[in-house]
Amino acid sequence: MNKHTLLLAPCALLLSACIQKEAEGTECDIESVSLHLDRPADVFYHDYDTLQTIISTDTEITFTTRSYAEVGMLPVTLCVTPGAAIFHLTESGPEPFRNGSALDFAEGKVHKFRIVSQDKVWSREYSISVLHDKPSEGNLFIDFEEFELDASGKYYVWKGPDVFTDGQWKNGNPGFKISKSSAMPMDYPSTPAIGQGPDGSACLKLETRDTGPFGKMVNMRIASGSMFNGIFDVGNALKDALKATQFGSPFTHKPVQFRVWLRTEQGEAFLNRNGEPEPGVVDEPDAYVVLYRNEDAQGNKIQLDGNDVLSSPSIVALGRLPHHYNADGTDQLSDSPIHGLTNEWQEVVIPVEYKAEIDPEVLANKGYSLIIGFASSWQGAYFRGSIGNKLFIDNIRLLCED
Amino acid sequence: MKHTLLYIVATFMLAALPASAQEDKWEKWGPTTGLTGGGFIARAGYVIGGTTPLPLPKEIRKINSFSPRGGISIGIDGYRMLSKRWGLSLGAHFFWEGFHTSADVKNYYVWLEQEGEITKGYFTGTNVTNTEMWGATVPLLCTFRISPRWNVSLGPYLSYYFKQTFTGEVYDNNEGVGYLREDTPVGTKILMTRDNPTPYPDDFADHMHPMSVGLEACFDWKAMRHMNVFGSLDWGLSNIWQSDFEAISFKMYPIYGTIGLAYRY
Repeated sequence: MNKHTLLLAPCALLLSACIQKEAEGTECDIESVSLHLDRPADVFYHDYDTLQTIISTDTEITFTTRSYAEVGMLPVTLCVTPGAAIFHLTESGPEPFRNGSALDFAEGKVHKFRIVSQDKVWSREYSISVLHDKPSEGNLFIDFEEFELDASGKYYVWKGPDVFTDGQWKNGNPGFKISKSSAMPMDYPSTPAIGQGPDGSACLKLETRDTGPFGKMVNMRIASGSMFNGIFDVGNALKDALKATQFGSPFTHKPVQFRVWLRTEQGEAFLNRNGEPEPGVVDEPDAYVVLYRNEDAQGNKIQLDGNDVLSSPSIVALGRLPHHYNADGTDQLSDSPIHGLTNEWQEVVIPVEYKAEIDPEVLANKGYSLIIGFASSWQGAYFRGSIGNKLFIDNIRLLCED
Repeated sequence: MKHTLLYIVATFMLAALPASAQEDKWEKWGPTTGLTGGGFIARAGYVIGGTTPLPLPKEIRKINSFSPRGGISIGIDGYRMLSKRWGLSLGAHFFWEGFHTSADVKNYYVWLEQEGEITKGYFTGTNVTNTEMWGATVPLLCTFRISPRWNVSLGPYLSYYFKQTFTGEVYDNNEGVGYLREDTPVGTKILMTRDNPTPYPDDFADHMHPMSVGLEACFDWKAMRHMNVFGSLDWGLSNIWQSDFEAISFKMYPIYGTIGLAYRY
């Protein structure tokens, strides 16, 4: 309380009295979807597979069942924006959908939904399907030849192996779009490099970029080029960037060797989070493969993100480009990197080191997730690095035990 | 507003009528000498108010806090009474005024451009605004003398700002809700938080008009032979933003009141 309180109270009251009636809602998202089964474990690999939280950019929702599981009628509950209405789009037209109603998901049937905002001006359409898991053969060979512009036409997206989440590679390009709306597709941190691969075909180019005035405003001055499998939740890019990168996809094989063609180009001065040059520090690219246990003892999902992708106790196997580390295991910045990469292409062989025994039963039931990750700045998650630092990547071979 | 003022003036006029017979009182409390003539009034006051959209748009759901910034006005008026009841005054008032406010908003359209980079969309969460203005106001007022000791004045004013600041930031509200829907209400939902608030671009003040016009209403009560107690209200009628400024989707007007003491001679 201060001496102004007496004067201010009427002002605040006056202003509050002027508040108008709230406008009707304009949003119309599916925030989560759940399927109801008496015994989820018979159909799904994990109990948590029956509930999906939907990020705001997703409209195609897929549940993956065990390869042998038969699904039929399943009750569905959609959690949508408060006030929004749910319509099930059937052959006879849109019908209001009551949560908990059972839908037939047999033989991969796709159900379409339209969510209409409270003010009835805005709507979004979603599809929901329940698909069988496809058996995967383990060894992966990836050459970054299949890419296209995303729906907005702003940046490139790459097709990945089927075992990857959504069958796609993920990266921070959607986050870069928020800060640098004027950037052309080839100005993004993750771009294809046509004709520049070791074999003369296309390869992947990661480059640490300046995020411009908006990046500076929110103290995220640089964007490292990145590539990984999992989910990039662009909604968290500003709030909690480390949480935006959700690493890994369930994997049923035991990787033993990670081979990849790499070359690097040194960028400008190494900048700390405040954009100030750090003398005596040279930026380093990063490449790693991780296998981690994706479920805890209580059956809850374990999701590695930028906070613990390389340090989580759930990690059972790790292979990474060499770096300096402090005695306590934290990253040590230095002027003499030991990653061994040069401006010339070379095939790097990264051994996969196991910290724990693999349980074959758990492995076969998708209890482990695989991460393949790259970055042009190894401290990029903390918005530290050299603008212009580049990592070129091609011809990944992940070899697994038979 | 206009009706309220008329009502106040009328009330004072009625209340004052029975006293008008006492001519000596009129002279005693009049201008320096007699019923007509002129003089100067030096004023110093405390300023409180805000710069606000009018009416408050639907997007504003709740005012969390409000506090003034600055709040000083010093000036001088020259006045001349043309008759027993009517006069004119012209002044020059120097002021430092401003405020800080925190408001919860829903679907608040923002359009931010910095060095050619554009971020736009609909924000829901907490919006904090701070503005301060240093300047001078020239009011030209018509004075009506209600009673020997009460004057009311009304007239237009012109303000010129030497310096203006307009800063702010957006983040999540007390319920933890803070996000921008990019471009449209169904666009990408970008979460925002008070741990890493998103500030307004630092060039907002460059888009403010250096001048504004409005109406000033003022009352003076002659407490002592040379000392007035006064109160005034400056009601801005021109948008503080330049017409091509799109970052804020509604017009905003400065509305500031002053209470103070004046020396009359």
